[in-house]
Amino acid sequence: MLFGRKDRKPIVIADKKVVEWKYAVCGYCSTGCSIEVGLNSAGRPVTSRGKGDAPVNQGKLCIKGIFEHELVETAGRGTKPLMRDRIYQTFQPASWDDALDKTAAEFKRIQAKYGRDSVAVVSTGQLLTEEFYTLGKLVRGVIGTNNYDGNTTLCMASAVSGYKRSFGSDGPPGCYDDFEHTDCLIAFGSNLPEQHPIIYWRLKEALEKRKFPLIVVDPRVTMMAQFADIHLPITPGTDLVLLNALAHVILAEGLQKQDYIDAHCSGFDELKATVAKYNPESASRICGIDADTIRHVARIYAKAPSAMSIWTMGINQSTHGSDGVCGINNLNLITGNIGIPGGTSLSITGQCNAMGTREWSSCSGLPGYRMLEKEAHRQEVAKFWGVDPDFFPTKRGLQQTDIFPAIESGEIKALWIVATNPLTSMPNQPRIKKALEKLEFMVVQDGYADCETAHYAHVFLPGAVWGEKEGVQTNTERRVNLVRKFVEPPGQAKPDFWIFNELAKRFDGGRKMRFPETTSDIFDEMKHLSKGEGRTLDISGMSHDAIERQRGIQWPMREGEQSGDPRLYSDGKFQTPTGKANLLAMDYIENNEVPSDQYPLWLNSGRVVEHFHTRTKTGKIGNLNKFSPTPYMEMNPDAARELGVQHMSYVRLVSRRGDAVVMVQLTQRVPRNMVFIPMHYHDCVNRLSLGLLDPYSRQPAFKQCAVRIEQVDQKEAARLNVERRAY
Amino acid sequence: MWQVRDDEPQYAFLKEPKAPAVNYYEAPIDLIARSGGEAPVNREMFINGEAGVGSNPNRNKQHAFHFTADNCIGCHACEAACSEKNDNPAHISFRSVGYVEGGTYPDFRRMNISMACNHCDDPVCLKGCPTRAYTKHAEYGAVLQDPETCFGCGYCTWVCPYNAPQLDPIKGQVSKCNMCVDRLEVGLKPSCVSACLGNALNFGVVEDLPDNREQAKVSIPGFPDPDITHPNIRFQQIKNMPDEVTRPDGMPVKYHRDEKGGYRPVVDQKKGVDKHWNLTRLSSRENPLVVFTLVSQAALGLFFSAFLGAEFGLESLVALRESVIYVPLVAIAVGLAGIGMLMSATHLGKPWRFYRGFNNLRHSPVCREGLGMLLFMVFAGLHLLAVLPENTVFISLAGDFGRYPTLATTLGWLGLAAGSVGLYYMVRCYRIPARPFWDHWQTGASFVGSAMTLGGLILGLLGVPALLLAGSAVDQAITVAVALMLAGCVLEGMGLVRHAQVMDAANNEGSASHYIQCTVFGKSYRLRNGLLGLNIVLSVAVLVLNGLSGYAAPLLTLAPLLLVSVLSVALIGRCLFYVLVIPTTMPGAFFWKNKDFEEHARDIGLAHMPQVGVVYDRH
Repeated sequence: MLFGRKDRKPIVIADKKVVEWKYAVCGYCSTGCSIEVGLNSAGRPVTSRGKGDAPVNQGKLCIKGIFEHELVETAGRGTKPLMRDRIYQTFQPASWDDALDKTAAEFKRIQAKYGRDSVAVVSTGQLLTEEFYTLGKLVRGVIGTNNYDGNTTLCMASAVSGYKRSFGSDGPPGCYDDFEHTDCLIAFGSNLPEQHPIIYWRLKEALEKRKFPLIVVDPRVTMMAQFADIHLPITPGTDLVLLNALAHVILAEGLQKQDYIDAHCSGFDELKATVAKYNPESASRICGIDADTIRHVARIYAKAPSAMSIWTMGINQSTHGSDGVCGINNLNLITGNIGIPGGTSLSITGQCNAMGTREWSSCSGLPGYRMLEKEAHRQEVAKFWGVDPDFFPTKRGLQQTDIFPAIESGEIKALWIVATNPLTSMPNQPRIKKALEKLEFMVVQDGYADCETAHYAHVFLPGAVWGEKEGVQTNTERRVNLVRKFVEPPGQAKPDFWIFNELAKRFDGGRKMRFPETTSDIFDEMKHLSKGEGRTLDISGMSHDAIERQRGIQWPMREGEQSGDPRLYSDGKFQTPTGKANLLAMDYIENNEVPSDQYPLWLNSGRVVEHFHTRTKTGKIGNLNKFSPTPYMEMNPDAARELGVQHMSYVRLVSRRGDAVVMVQLTQRVPRNMVFIPMHYHDCVNRLSLGLLDPYSRQPAFKQCAVRIEQVDQKEAARLNVERRAY
Repeated sequence: MWQVRDDEPQYAFLKEPKAPAVNYYEAPIDLIARSGGEAPVNREMFINGEAGVGSNPNRNKQHAFHFTADNCIGCHACEAACSEKNDNPAHISFRSVGYVEGGTYPDFRRMNISMACNHCDDPVCLKGCPTRAYTKHAEYGAVLQDPETCFGCGYCTWVCPYNAPQLDPIKGQVSKCNMCVDRLEVGLKPSCVSACLGNALNFGVVEDLPDNREQAKVSIPGFPDPDITHPNIRFQQIKNMPDEVTRPDGMPVKYHRDEKGGYRPVVDQKKGVDKHWNLTRLSSRENPLVVFTLVSQAALGLFFSAFLGAEFGLESLVALRESVIYVPLVAIAVGLAGIGMLMSATHLGKPWRFYRGFNNLRHSPVCREGLGMLLFMVFAGLHLLAVLPENTVFISLAGDFGRYPTLATTLGWLGLAAGSVGLYYMVRCYRIPARPFWDHWQTGASFVGSAMTLGGLILGLLGVPALLLAGSAVDQAITVAVALMLAGCVLEGMGLVRHAQVMDAANNEGSASHYIQCTVFGKSYRLRNGLLGLNIVLSVAVLVLNGLSGYAAPLLTLAPLLLVSVLSVALIGRCLFYVLVIPTTMPGAFFWKNKDFEEHARDIGLAHMPQVGVVYDRH
């Protein structure tokens, strides 16, 4: 009442009336933030807040986490199993027994007719680790198909492959705490403020305490690039050239840590011979970064007492993504920046449990980073599960991106999709649609019945989502963290591990094996399997309760230890047969689809902070979705002027694969020969993308292809925009 | 009381200030001192009805946001934390992040600006609000608004330069940032600040720099002139922005660096230079106000001319006053004013609360306008009753009730006075610094001009036939009515010419409005201007013909032409007045807080999906 009125108006501020807080690690990205979900007296989740004493997020949450409790109210959830004989028919509700019986029978029929591998399973990075382990056990030990992979092939496969090639095993060696110690950081194709805002905050906190050079490699002027001390606006797809040139300068000027290399690395001479060809001058002609800047960056990085590299899809989603990862690893190995505080190669992972699937799902091998290719691993797991070791293939089968072509060619007749939406997320959507129509049988198991892929399914199994089941997830820095169950799944939806267990019962092999009924029992089984001499992925010291108490624990945490280990390879011992890290000599091969006269623009794609994946969740939460409710693209205003394209108008983009209609945002954030489209929308960027595959990781190069822009009738475009937005 | 958690992170706590005694604008930071000792210390706030004084030792100091513009990453965490805490639906947001950007790839910079209520020293919202829903508290200097008091007129959303008050078309009421006073009471920063991931947003006693910060500027590019309200926000911006920065939303405004290093708005020709009709776009949610202002002004013009003309002894108007038509004329004036009041009430989010419109006579021009018009109706109505016994038709029907000329005259003058007050504040309502297109004397010229033109029109339309029927001379009546119209048109015309010149040169949001006027509505604008010229020509022609004899036939053809033209000018002109105004708001983003996208989403049907965050205007 300073002024206004003397008689007081009541001050009313929303009160959520929380009576209980439940602990959960976030179900969106792989930062691994600890959340407390507030329940009201009716037991409904009404609010979310960051856990104050959690080491990862220290009370902070990004926009998605802040509204995560609203997930329980989102539209489009699957509430009962659905079935139909033909995909042109309408789904009919079914009982769980009927749906699972039919699924098991169809898998058996198709396997009997076309062979064991004619059934393919495409999983995800969205389940709990215990569920991944169970699914792996079911697929590898019971169903017995080798065509089993996760959608992690679309995001982290190159990091996995690169880690394996350099260090002998998957597993990011660093942690977020390295920001507090490093003296130089390079971010390759990683836009933290948009993709991993909490990790950005950790970096920002470190920078406010102690300034160190921040170097960002990105073809777009992202906020991260803008805040960098040095921004390298690289030509798309040429990271390996830059990395080789950086190594060239370091070796040419003798800035490498030779004693570290001699003690802990192999392949130095080959590396030296290869990078000798990449002098900064010739490299600059390919990667678009001038020679002086390359030298400057190489010197800063090599001379820093400790230096670290982080990367995300800018590296991974490329035709030489795996080589790019190895190139980053090379850089850190020759400068002695592995396993030391502030010195690391840290891939910033995408999905909440991409790490969990890499560790335990058996997609790329056998649980706990074990490999099908290794006889001892097959024996060990077969014995543990109680199956015949010969039941396991001796070599990894097809990856997700090769499964769809195998459907095309008729090798695969049945497909089981678990919590992923390839119709929106796979490159070259026209090809995926055509392939899916060829299947004799497809099961989609998802939390959302309205995910686009379900349109092609014969059976839909409704899964439980975040907070509707209990279990662990692993984050980017190997921190195993827990989601408590705080709400029942809607209708008849069931936790995915229950679905796996029930399906296992419908196979002879499955009935003979043990499938524990609770995730904590499953976790105990995994703990057992994680033990072993010299193993890094050891979780035997953990338990669900201990994980909650410590707000997540970084593996390895061996039996009897009090906590986990923040870094791998601090002892300089790697998971290779020799114990030494591999320096890899890699030549750059130009194999991208590059802009041409017919298709004169680069098409780049990426994430926006308010959306996650294919928007099945975030597209339904107004306070997220409203920030970018319809497809749009960033385009350079100078290029637009030439074509007569206006801000906020619609255009049609055409590539060699198909077309897409988007709204134009004119901004100098992108160069004149490039457009950028957020990846999340259905019927959008992946109608255009090519997705050439990396030879090692089989990850698609989403971010590099060529398009042209055509004018479109504005009314027709607006109509299409509305039609294509079920959410 | 808000619960501080056991593991509350350190960054969430307010810091002990080392602030000076006065703020940048020389106002005492101690709010007890600022209130002249009137406000009591240790007063309970009764948040959600809860008793108890908060533990915050600085609760009687003016608090402010501090925004490090160099750091904001545009991650929406502040907006989300705010909407989550306040349980706001998607289409309402107390805090919004927009941005400006400039440069040429890769020498490109984007600056995100997160903005909520600035709890101003001079809260124009509070002063404008007719219902007194706003209070500036001696606790934290928070400007709080009570949605349950609000009747949804939206005037605060007009006067606020920062787009802080949020009018919810669904609930029909305004709500806004409450500074998280519940958190402040226990020593915690507001939830937006605690949620910030770029270390951009901070909060504390005004002028007290947060740790690690060195600047407390009062403005940054894209921020409206702080002199309008003395907002409680300070900025740090050390990194330079390019000389010209643009907005991603549809507003045709960009910002240029001026000589002093500040940024001023200039027109951004986003809509091209072609002229369009866009007649349907002239219809807006302010349609009731178009009707309200026009009919009120017509009522005033009619009453003023009929009453004053007779008072001044103009022969034909004296005849008119003595004729049977005078009562219906006054009745029409009262009726039009009544329709106006009704329209202004339907414009409210909660029309049944119209009676609250007179609660802030001390500050609000809206109240004074309303009261003026209401009293005008009352006095003109009483005047009508007082002249009724003189009316021959009345006498023949009801008998002789005597004569009350003194009373009638007194009431007439009172009506005149009330109407003048109403009209004056009707103009004042639109002289808003945050809406430069309106903040010009042309608003007054247009309102007075409309009163004269429309008043003259009705006077002529009804008076001349009445006099003809009564067998009286009509020459003078025609002259008076048309001269009045001519004067109104000329006044409006002069205002428009000057306004266009000023807006062209102003380099502010008014210039942008004028640019839209000349392009998006270019043809409609031209039509209006042409017709206004035609009105003047026709009026002169009528006056000339009326002065000569034997030209009754041409007069009869010109009159309906003039009628149609006058009404078209009034309607198009007033619609333009409302649809064109561009407030000095913060820049929006590409979708969120982009008026053009909102309009598009409504046009194409996207707004039917609640998660798009756009709702249809309903009232």
